[in-house]
Amino acid sequence: MASVDIVNIRKSYGPVLALSDIDIQIESGAFFTLLGPSGCGKTTLLRTIAGFHFQDSGTILINGREIQNMPAHKRGVGMVFQDYAVFPHLSVSDNVAFGLKRKKFPSSQIKPKVAEALRIVQLEEFAHRMPHELSGGQQQRVGLARAIAVDPTVLLMDEPLSNLDAKLRVDLRGELRRIQKDMGMTTIYVTHDQEEALAMSDVVCVMFGGIIQQAASPFEIYRNPANRFVANFVGANNFLAGSIDPAGDAILTTSGLKVRSIADSASDTDIAVSVRPEAVNVSLNGNTAGEDMLTFDGNIRQISFIGRELEVHGKTELGDDVRAILRPTSELLGLAEGDPVTFAFSRDQAILFENGETGRRLS
Amino acid sequence: MTITSSNPPLKPVSVFSPIRFDFWTVMTLLVVTVLVVLLILPIASVFLVSFIDEDTGAFTLANYVEVFTRNYYVKGLRNTLTVGLLGTLGACLIGVPLAFFTARFRIRGKALISTLAILVLVAPPFIGAYAWIMMLGANGFVTNFFKGLGINLPTIYGAHGIILVFTLKFFPFVFLMTKTALGSVNKSFEDAAENLGCNALQRFFYVTLPLVFPAVSTGAIICFVLSIADFGTPAILGRGFRTLSTIAYSAYTSELGGKPTMAVTVSLVMMAISILALFVQRRFLAKRRYASALTNRPVIHQLSGLRNLGAHTFCYAVVIIAMLPTFVVIYTSFLETNGPVFTGEYGLSSYRRVLLDAPEAIYNSFRFSLTAVAVIAIFSGLISYLIVRRENAVSGAIDVLMMVPYLVPGVVMAIGFVTTFRSGWYDLTGTGLIIVMILFIRRLPYGVRSTTTNLRQIKPSLEEAAINLGASPLRAFVSVTVPLILPGLIVGSLMSFITAINELSSTLILYNSKTVTMPVKIYISVLDGEFGLAAALSTILLVCSGLCVYAVFLLADDRESSFV
Repeated sequence: MASVDIVNIRKSYGPVLALSDIDIQIESGAFFTLLGPSGCGKTTLLRTIAGFHFQDSGTILINGREIQNMPAHKRGVGMVFQDYAVFPHLSVSDNVAFGLKRKKFPSSQIKPKVAEALRIVQLEEFAHRMPHELSGGQQQRVGLARAIAVDPTVLLMDEPLSNLDAKLRVDLRGELRRIQKDMGMTTIYVTHDQEEALAMSDVVCVMFGGIIQQAASPFEIYRNPANRFVANFVGANNFLAGSIDPAGDAILTTSGLKVRSIADSASDTDIAVSVRPEAVNVSLNGNTAGEDMLTFDGNIRQISFIGRELEVHGKTELGDDVRAILRPTSELLGLAEGDPVTFAFSRDQAILFENGETGRRLS
Repeated sequence: MTITSSNPPLKPVSVFSPIRFDFWTVMTLLVVTVLVVLLILPIASVFLVSFIDEDTGAFTLANYVEVFTRNYYVKGLRNTLTVGLLGTLGACLIGVPLAFFTARFRIRGKALISTLAILVLVAPPFIGAYAWIMMLGANGFVTNFFKGLGINLPTIYGAHGIILVFTLKFFPFVFLMTKTALGSVNKSFEDAAENLGCNALQRFFYVTLPLVFPAVSTGAIICFVLSIADFGTPAILGRGFRTLSTIAYSAYTSELGGKPTMAVTVSLVMMAISILALFVQRRFLAKRRYASALTNRPVIHQLSGLRNLGAHTFCYAVVIIAMLPTFVVIYTSFLETNGPVFTGEYGLSSYRRVLLDAPEAIYNSFRFSLTAVAVIAIFSGLISYLIVRRENAVSGAIDVLMMVPYLVPGVVMAIGFVTTFRSGWYDLTGTGLIIVMILFIRRLPYGVRSTTTNLRQIKPSLEEAAINLGASPLRAFVSVTVPLILPGLIVGSLMSFITAINELSSTLILYNSKTVTMPVKIYISVLDGEFGLAAALSTILLVCSGLCVYAVFLLADDRESSFV
């Protein structure tokens, strides 16, 4: 168990800045996830912590001890790889014993430690198999057992589930989280799958363009995105065109409806008004409008029933695209493409951002 | 936010980041040193000699002017290009159809055809030349047979003989490369051509051939480079028809003691032709890649009637004619001789003479080749790791340097070794060491190429996992990388061994009575007319090479492409 402090890490590849002044503090025992699209720098950061490449400047501390200039094999951080990296020429138990041997454990201790690690990942009966006899999910369990067998200070995981099929991915992520909690092991997890990040983490750190966009609890990230990028990347969102009028009111461009006033903001600027699809209501008779609701008449473009919920794609009469996610009621299920409906959402649910990919949050 | 700060840094951030000096930095230095000493220095010294006036020691271009103006050299240059180009053309004319027939039609004994083609490839380079003399020379048995019928066959000596030998010797390169390429052309392209109205012949010339042309050209360029550098064939069959390599060799032997200026200049012109040819091919053809997802595999057709007979006849005729010299050599090695004359009876006297006259040649050949290959195996592992895993300017340069030994004719390399390793206070000429060194540097690329191909298929995360688990870089290499690249390493070493034990052009310049090798002894015996001795030694060489080919077949995934 260990805390991790990343201070001002910077790394560039030629003219490309891969990591720009990264500052992160991770509590001991936390499950910390780096989330972002490919090329955002999340894997670069993870590999810098592992020591597979070196930062241009900055400090990495584990339990207050600087490790950023240590060679990779002396850092004592465990790693689980995207492509498993299970040694194909060694049996399952030899794979798990590999790190213990390097750490010069006496052979009397290696056996019980291997058995324990395999028990944790539920692979006891596979100890003598060769990797090619295992499925992808089993190989990744070996990868995990191998990493935790040496009692690493920190466990690094580089998209460990991305090569598995959807069902197995969900099963294994629950198991990973359980093992991590039981062992209380500080974990840094890299993924591009936002659902995975939200489901597993104590803290989600959203990265884009080598910059941390926001680091917070999954709930915070979803409910209070710090900027337009986070709002767009995590979960689905509607972005409606808006602007700030001379009075300092944020209004929707097409309808002229007022969302809310924004104190001390530059007027006459275009903004983005976001609202989650689950906050959008769809009704047939237009009587849902309450005092604080914004309503728009429009038509259904596409309606898809996906089991638990109903996804409605529509266009308002003023030309805005709207997506809504609803509980499938029998009334709504009767709708078809082209039917006229009224879309509505509460002013409170709207979040305002500056325009641009990583536009700042205004209110 | 749930992030909490933990212990503050105990030490200030160090301003000077330490130099990261790990195992691979040391290995890079070692490899660079070896390549500088054994590759760059000898070539540079040869280069330098060619620009120096033999008498005054001043810088001059006169040597090159002489090569390009004096009739003797210009004729040699023209001869070299003629036999090189026509030999390559011949190799393509039989290699491409052979590849097409075996890749697209049901031919019985396909594996046998490929195996024979590979055996042609690994047979000692000059066996062909003198076996053809035994068949078609002035006193050859085929010549005599036809003379008995009153027909005078044209002599084998001269340009056409050399072209014939080159064609039959080098076609397997074109054949194997084209065959591999044909096997990976998506059939949809051919279907599309047919759908758009092409008949079978049009489809081949407008679609299939252009698609595999990069591979054909790669095979052709190997033929061309090897034809130009080939010494044994024109030396044995030339009879006054001189090529640059024979001119360089005789210039070198006649200038012995003095500076080998003209030998070197001629050799460098030869090398320039190879490099230019390779450059042109790379620039215009090799970059064209038509790799596509192989969703629609090529179909193998069953021919019928005369066409089927024709295709089979062609395929078997090609490989059997190409193997004829080998058969002749093996056959004659079991004939009794009386001096240089075959008595017509069978016996083992040639082998007895090998044991009496040339045991040291066999011993030396194995000693030198095995030592060189042992070192090659170690360096192949290291170099391929540097090339594949350490992508930086130095490893990039090493990668490029690995092309050089293919392009430098043995004569050039050997003269470079003599000028480099013979100075006032040390003289390696005449030692076994210098032969081991030249075998090492000339055959290193075979080992590196095979190992590199193998290593590229191994995920780098495996080594990272080992390091992450606490293995030092050296440890990770030995315990994880080496076991995984072992097949590539062994196949590469076998290829290095086959080519090392058959080496003639460089050892002919570097050997002395104590370091004579089998190919050198064979060459000398042929010149002395001792065909029996030569045949017995050649058979021994053939058996060694054949055993190695068999081992490669057992070990390599893609057997045939291991040889080109």
